[in-house]
Amino acid sequence: MASTTATPKSAAQRSRKYMARRNKITMFLFVVPMLVVFLCMVILPSLQSLQLSFTDWDGISDTYDWVGFDNYVDMLTSGRFWNAVRNTLILGIGSAFVINLISLGMALLLDHIHHFSGFFRTIVYLPALVSAFIASTIWKYMLNYNFGAVNSMLRKAGLAGLTRDWLGDQHIVIWVLLFLICFTLGGNTTLIYLSNLQSVPQELVEAAKVDGANAWQVFRNVTWPMLAGSVTVNFTLSLIAGWAIFDQVQVLTSGGPGFVSETMAFFVYRVGFGEYRAGFGSAAAVILFVVVMISTVISNKFLRDREIQA
Amino acid sequence: MSHFTNDLKKGIAAAAAVATLFGMAACGSSSGGSSDAGGKTVIKFLYATGDDTWNGTVKALADAYNAQSDTAKVVPEPLPAGSDYATAMKTMDATGNWPAVVDMRDTVTYIEAGKLAPIPEEVISLLSDDAYAAYKDGNVYLVPAGANNGELGINIIYDKDYFKKHNLEVPTTYDEFIQLMKDIKKNGDVPLATAGGEVWPSDQLWKPLASAVFAEHSADGAGFWSDVKDGKASIEDLKEPLTELKDITDKYVLQGWQSTQDAQTTTLLVNHQAIMATSSAGLGRLKDINKVDPNYNAGMFIIPDENGRINVLKNAVGDSSQGLAISAQAKKDGKQYDAAVDFLKFYYSLDGANEIEKSGTIAPNIKDADQITRNESIPGSSDYYDLMKNPNLNWYVNETPWTEFSTFNSFFRQARIEMQTGQTSIDDLIAKTQAEFDKDIKG
Repeated sequence: MASTTATPKSAAQRSRKYMARRNKITMFLFVVPMLVVFLCMVILPSLQSLQLSFTDWDGISDTYDWVGFDNYVDMLTSGRFWNAVRNTLILGIGSAFVINLISLGMALLLDHIHHFSGFFRTIVYLPALVSAFIASTIWKYMLNYNFGAVNSMLRKAGLAGLTRDWLGDQHIVIWVLLFLICFTLGGNTTLIYLSNLQSVPQELVEAAKVDGANAWQVFRNVTWPMLAGSVTVNFTLSLIAGWAIFDQVQVLTSGGPGFVSETMAFFVYRVGFGEYRAGFGSAAAVILFVVVMISTVISNKFLRDREIQA
Repeated sequence: MSHFTNDLKKGIAAAAAVATLFGMAACGSSSGGSSDAGGKTVIKFLYATGDDTWNGTVKALADAYNAQSDTAKVVPEPLPAGSDYATAMKTMDATGNWPAVVDMRDTVTYIEAGKLAPIPEEVISLLSDDAYAAYKDGNVYLVPAGANNGELGINIIYDKDYFKKHNLEVPTTYDEFIQLMKDIKKNGDVPLATAGGEVWPSDQLWKPLASAVFAEHSADGAGFWSDVKDGKASIEDLKEPLTELKDITDKYVLQGWQSTQDAQTTTLLVNHQAIMATSSAGLGRLKDINKVDPNYNAGMFIIPDENGRINVLKNAVGDSSQGLAISAQAKKDGKQYDAAVDFLKFYYSLDGANEIEKSGTIAPNIKDADQITRNESIPGSSDYYDLMKNPNLNWYVNETPWTEFSTFNSFFRQARIEMQTGQTSIDDLIAKTQAEFDKDIKG
C-alpha cells in the first residue's frame, strides 16, 4: 500500500520540479535580451575602460602603449582634477541634501492639499518631465547676461545692481548650477515621498493625536520613521545622480569659465573625447566609479541602520 | 492549453533572445556604401555647422552637384547640434559610420590613425599650388573648404555708421586700436563684444594679439610652436600679448562675455550693445548680420601690430588645419571613393566655385580663380577683398605637425579664459601652459 501511494506522489513531485525548471528556463530566456544588451553596452565597455586606463590610447588610433599607473599619478597630482572633485562633492552632496529637503517639504504640502491636488502635483512634477539638456538650454538663454530674461527683469525692476553673469562669474557659477540641478531633479523625489506619506497608517497618526502630540511631534515620532525607506532610496538616487552630473554642465558652462565648473563626469568626457586622451579619461572614469561605489555603500549603510531602528 | 501557453511563452522568449543577438551583431558595423532608387551612389558629406552662411553654402553646393550628376548623390550631414567635433567624430568612428567626405579638424590625429584616404591628383590639379600641402608621407589628405586665405577670416566686425557719426577711423596700428576703444568708451558705449561661452572663440581676440610674436618666429623656420618645441622660444615670449589680452578684456569688452556664444555677438552688434565684435567667420558673419538687420552697415578690419603690420596665419599646416578630406572607409568601399572624388572635382570646378560665391562664402583658390564671379553684394565684403590686397598684410606660418597639439590647444584656450577672468595670474598661466606643452608635445 505504501508503495502504491508513494509512486504517484513522487511522480507529481517530479512533474512539479520539471515544470519549475521549465519555468526557470522560460524566465531566463525572457531576461536574455536585456542581459545581452546590458553585458555588451555596459559591463564589457566598463571592464575595457579599466584596461584602457593603463594606456595612452587617443580614442582613435588602432594601437596604444601601456603606461602603467602614469594616468592615475598625473590625475591625482593635477589641480584640475581636484577642482572637479570639489565641484562634484558640492553638486553631489549638496543636491542630494537640498533636493531631499525641498522634496519632502513639497510632499508634505501636497499631502495636505485636498482641493486641486492633481493640478498641484502635476505642477510640481512637470520640470522632471523635461530632459536635463532641454531644461538647461532654456536656462542658458534665461541667464544670459546681456539679453537673458532674469537680468532683463532685474533691470526693469530697477535692480540693475543685482544683475550678474550667472554662468560666467567664477565665484557663483557652481552655486547657480546647484540651484538649477535641484530645480529640475526634484519631481521624482517628491513623488516617492508623497506615495510613502500616503501609505503611513492613519490610525498611528490618530493615536498620537489622541495622546496629545502636536503636529511637529506627530511628524517627528510617527511620520518621519515611517519615511525611512523613502529617505534611503531618495538620498541614494540623488547622490548617484549628483556624482554623475554632466548634461547641465555641458550645456550651461562647458566646464567654464576656464576649468572652474568642471565636474568629475564632465572631466571624464572632456579629456576622453574632447582632448583625445581616452586612456587618461578612462582612468578618471575608474576613479569616479570607485567614488560612487564607496559613497553609495556608506550612505546606504548609514540610512539602512536608521531604517532598522525605525 | 497550459502546454500551449508555456510553449508560446518559450517561443516568444527564444525569438526575442535570438532577435537581440542579431540586432547586436547588426549594431557592430554599418555599410559604407548605398545606392538610391536611381542607381546613384549616395555619399554623406559631414560638415561642422557654425554660421548660417556655411550651412547654406553646403546645401547649395550639394543641390547643384546632385542636379548635374548621373552617378552620385551627396547628402549633407551636419554635426549633431550640441555635440562637439571630437565627440561626433569618435562616435562615427566607433560605429564604423564614416561619411565619404568630411569637413576635417584635428587632421594629423586622423591621418596617423589611418582614417583618411589620399586625395587623388585629378582633384589636387584643380587647385592653386599654394592652396594645399602634402603630409610627411607625400600624400595630400586635406583640401580647402573655402578660400585658403589662412586666418584672414579672424577679424573685427564694426558698425560703420557709428564710426562715421563719431569721426572714428579704422586703426592702422595697435596703439590706434587701443585709442579707438578709449574713444568709444568715452562716448559712453561699449567698444567690443567677444565670446567665451564656448572655448574655441577665445582665439578670435587672442590670435591677432599674439600674431606679432608668431610672425617673428615665422621668418626662418616652421613657426612659433616649432621653436618652442626646439627650445628656441618659450611660452614666456607670449607674456606681452597675454598682458594685452587681459588689459583689453578688463577695460573694453562687454560684460558677460564669459557666457556669450559666438553667434550671439551678431545680436549684440545689431542691438548696438557693442560697437565692434570679434569674429572668425569671415564674410559669413557679414552675411548673417545682413540677414538679421539689412540696415546695419557693417565693416571689418584686422587688429594691426605696433608697426602697422597685419599679421595673418597663412595656411594652417598640422593638427589644427581644417579642410575637406575623404575617409579611408570610403576608399575601402570603392564606389564611395569614386563618388567623393567626383564631388570634389565639382567643388573645385568653376561652376562649383561660382555656386559657393553665390551662397556667400569665398570660393577656394582654384586654378581658374580669375574667372570666378565674385559676390560683392554683401555689405562690408569690399573690406574683406581690400584686406587681401592690403600692402601691410604679413603672412606667417606656424606649423603644428603633432597629433597631441589638439590636446594642448584645448588646454591653452581654457587656461587663457581662466586668466582673463582673473582666476589665475599671467605668470601662473605661462608656467602651467609651458608645463602642459612640455608634457603633451615634448614628452
